[in-house]
Amino acid sequence: MNFRGVTWTIGILTVFFGASMMVPALVAWHYHTGHISDFIAAGLIVSAIGFVAMRMAGGAPESLSHRDGFLIVALAWVVLALLGAVPFWTTGTAVTVMDALFESTSGLTTTGATVFSGLDAMPPSILFWRSMEEWVGGMGIIVLAVAIMPLLGIGGMQLFRAEAPGPVKDKLTARVTETGKILWYMYLVMTCIVVVVYWSLGMSGFDAINHAMCTIAIGGFSTHDASMGYFDSLPLRLAAVFFMFASGINFTLHFAALRRGLSSNLPFTYFSDDEFRAYLKWMFVLILIVGAPTLFTAKGSWDEVLFNTVAVATTTGFAVSDYEQWPVVTNMILFVAMFAGACAGSTGGGMKMVRVLLLFRQGMREVRRLIHPHAVVPVKLNGNKVTGSVVEALWGFFVLYIVCFIIIAVLVAASGVDMLTALTSAAACMTNTGPGFGGVGPADNYANLPDFAKAVLMFGMVLGRLEIFTFFVLLVPEFWKK
Amino acid sequence: MHVRGIIWILALLCMIYGLGMLVTACVALASASHSVVMFGGYGAVLVLLAGAVSLFSGPAPKHLTHRDGFLMVSLAWLLLSLLGAVPFVISGVSHTFGDAMFESVSGLTTTGATVLTGLDATDPAILFWRSMQQWLGGIGIVVLVVAVIPFLGAGGMQLLKAEVPGPVKDKLTSRVSQTAKALWGIYVGLTLACTLAYWWAGMSVFDAVNHAMSTLSTGGFSTHDASFGYYRLPALHIIAIVFMLAASVNFSLHFAAAHRGFSLRHYFLDDEFKFYILVLSVLILLIAWVALPLPGSSWDEVVFSAVSVITTTGFTVGDYSLWPSGCILLLLLMMLTGACAGSTSGGMKLIRVLLLFRHVRRELHRLIHPHGVMQLRIGDHTVPQGLAESLWGFAVLYFFSFFIVAVVVALSGVDILTSLSASAACLSNTGPGFGDVGPAGNYAALPDVSKWVLMLAMVVGRLEIYTFFVLFIPEFWRK
Repeated sequence: MNFRGVTWTIGILTVFFGASMMVPALVAWHYHTGHISDFIAAGLIVSAIGFVAMRMAGGAPESLSHRDGFLIVALAWVVLALLGAVPFWTTGTAVTVMDALFESTSGLTTTGATVFSGLDAMPPSILFWRSMEEWVGGMGIIVLAVAIMPLLGIGGMQLFRAEAPGPVKDKLTARVTETGKILWYMYLVMTCIVVVVYWSLGMSGFDAINHAMCTIAIGGFSTHDASMGYFDSLPLRLAAVFFMFASGINFTLHFAALRRGLSSNLPFTYFSDDEFRAYLKWMFVLILIVGAPTLFTAKGSWDEVLFNTVAVATTTGFAVSDYEQWPVVTNMILFVAMFAGACAGSTGGGMKMVRVLLLFRQGMREVRRLIHPHAVVPVKLNGNKVTGSVVEALWGFFVLYIVCFIIIAVLVAASGVDMLTALTSAAACMTNTGPGFGGVGPADNYANLPDFAKAVLMFGMVLGRLEIFTFFVLLVPEFWKK
Repeated sequence: MHVRGIIWILALLCMIYGLGMLVTACVALASASHSVVMFGGYGAVLVLLAGAVSLFSGPAPKHLTHRDGFLMVSLAWLLLSLLGAVPFVISGVSHTFGDAMFESVSGLTTTGATVLTGLDATDPAILFWRSMQQWLGGIGIVVLVVAVIPFLGAGGMQLLKAEVPGPVKDKLTSRVSQTAKALWGIYVGLTLACTLAYWWAGMSVFDAVNHAMSTLSTGGFSTHDASFGYYRLPALHIIAIVFMLAASVNFSLHFAAAHRGFSLRHYFLDDEFKFYILVLSVLILLIAWVALPLPGSSWDEVVFSAVSVITTTGFTVGDYSLWPSGCILLLLLMMLTGACAGSTSGGMKLIRVLLLFRHVRRELHRLIHPHGVMQLRIGDHTVPQGLAESLWGFAVLYFFSFFIVAVVVALSGVDILTSLSASAACLSNTGPGFGDVGPAGNYAALPDVSKWVLMLAMVVGRLEIYTFFVLFIPEFWRK
């Protein structure tokens, strides 16, 4: 284990994170709302911590192994989530330390579960910091999902090892830096496009930037208590639906589309991908089965159905209306939709479409095998045979995911929360969606939960974000042996 | 497809069922019930008709294939459920055909979910018929899970193939009949022991017989509305706990132990049994930790409820749906896991859960040593790849079925807790759930649509999912 290398890497991430706190300071300066010094102070504290870590570790590491990778990824999320709470504390926004930590973790993991209310009256700098945390978290996730997870082979993601943009090397550092540059450029460009579209459709500049950051990161923080419901404009809602959907697509696909040019074969690039097709079909089916009972009982309009369904199914967590008021069955379907989540290699959460697709294909194969016990029927993805070890990893992932969900739900319930709230808050946090049902529905927020429940849910968010295995591998004694 | 063979076996099962009716008629006679004629007549007709059909369909089948097995098992459960519903309709206990079917399916699948109330005042013959149905269902299940399902290889259960008592032959028919003979004795013996124990501890003879039948089948029908809560004697609760546990252990283990002089050591050599004891103890402690501080709860109630739920029996001594939501979630979880494979209990079965856990552990090790070769083991056996795969397929189909059933029940206008727990309680063949279908409520108030869906769930859960779903693959019906 290269502890110095790990410390240095965490240190440099922390320094950059601290530096990014200057941006909300600029926002505060622009809007004359105070808090300039608070953000600068927070930035300095965080950067100083990072700087000390870097100095202690000496120089940049030459090479990092697989195991270092696991440790860095897990530590980075935990450390940055904790330090991101500093501005909430220096500005005095959060009432308790737990609230500050919860909001920050929720931001950095792009969950979008909030303990704040009265957002409309909040200083812009603080709102901006929330959105920015999601955006920064999204950047981290993109690199994590496209470059690091496949290399570490988390939950079957070795499937995508060869497909990430950038050089196919087996060196973690080289791969991450190369791939990172390409991805971040795309991420930035996409965000800019969304800002322009939102702004031209009627949002204020500030709202457009904030919502664009949260859309691309599939986060779901808003600058208004009513979330996207504040904007009563159909084109704006449709644009948001489109961009949420687009952000939920594997970034490797976007990259492939970009490389081939925006020519006539653009749809082909997307439609030749099994996961994308499954994702599209899944969305259609969800919208239909959520829409039918909702429209039939006249509890919501079609644009609300479209928006809320896509927001939940991509694990964004924006809302235009209180979908908890819809018939019970729609709530259950949305609950399941959270688990499936968006595509792998995107900023979306949940179990990821490709895993669900492969599990489904494997399940169907097993039924076939009952009839023909000796037939060899391979599971395929994009025409390629999926190897046994990948399928095994997928299953391990699925089982551990469900087990973790149950444990978190039981712990939350044990803190005295009712059953529905416990189940849905556990799901909404682990899948990084944000709003659940019951006490944490779209019309409520997480402020009223006991501190213990908040702590458990924070853990759930990080766990879900790290695709579970990255965390659990640290608990295996063998991991720490030389 | 060996149609004659399937008909012959179904006729045989109907005949056994008819004999069960005749026994019930005797009970009716003894209790001077007016339903003697109905049970006697119906039973006699069933026996004669089934005899005629089996004569007509020719000699006993010698060769049944995989496919015949699947079809026969599913048909048997459906047909017998239908036949078992008739007494409920004729006697007027159930007002609608749906209710009668629900009671019958719930009995035969040893679920124990009921739509009847006022049991204490109901005709004893009807009560006996309910228990009898569970008991017959129980023996059917033991044969099914010990002999048939491992043979068909549904959901990774070929794992148990080698451990089945009786000759290990690759012929379904001879295997089933041999195993049934071996297990029959154990099942009847345990039931008699349970009856005597209940009677000795203070139940009336009628109650003792009824409760023994529904204990050993892990069914959970009672002759009282208050279920086991009717009896306040701790001794009775302890006896029930012991026999529920006995019924939820793999019958192959009982068989092996019986051959080696009933030593407990033999049980502790079994991985699944050890895991069962571990899981049960941990969950009991967790539940006790949360539920004991509540006023009016006792160790007796906690242990009884936990055992009743994990064995998927569904007897109740108190209303555990009033416990804190943490306990409810744990109980819901226990329903879905169930107890050991090869027993009368429902749920996913712990051997599958154990293997899934071992699988996760191996994946974690594989992340650290990406090129290491690691085997999945259970007992002394290495689990082959194909088997592990069908196991996972089972897990997914199980969760999938659970959600679909819950969604459909919710669609019929039931609240979320009721629909989730009703789905879990029926799919796992437990019986009482939470919410409206909790220990204090029952299934009578649910809309008809959800009753039918839950019936389907009971059958699907009982047949270990695959056995049922395989019938819907077009390939199954091709030559």
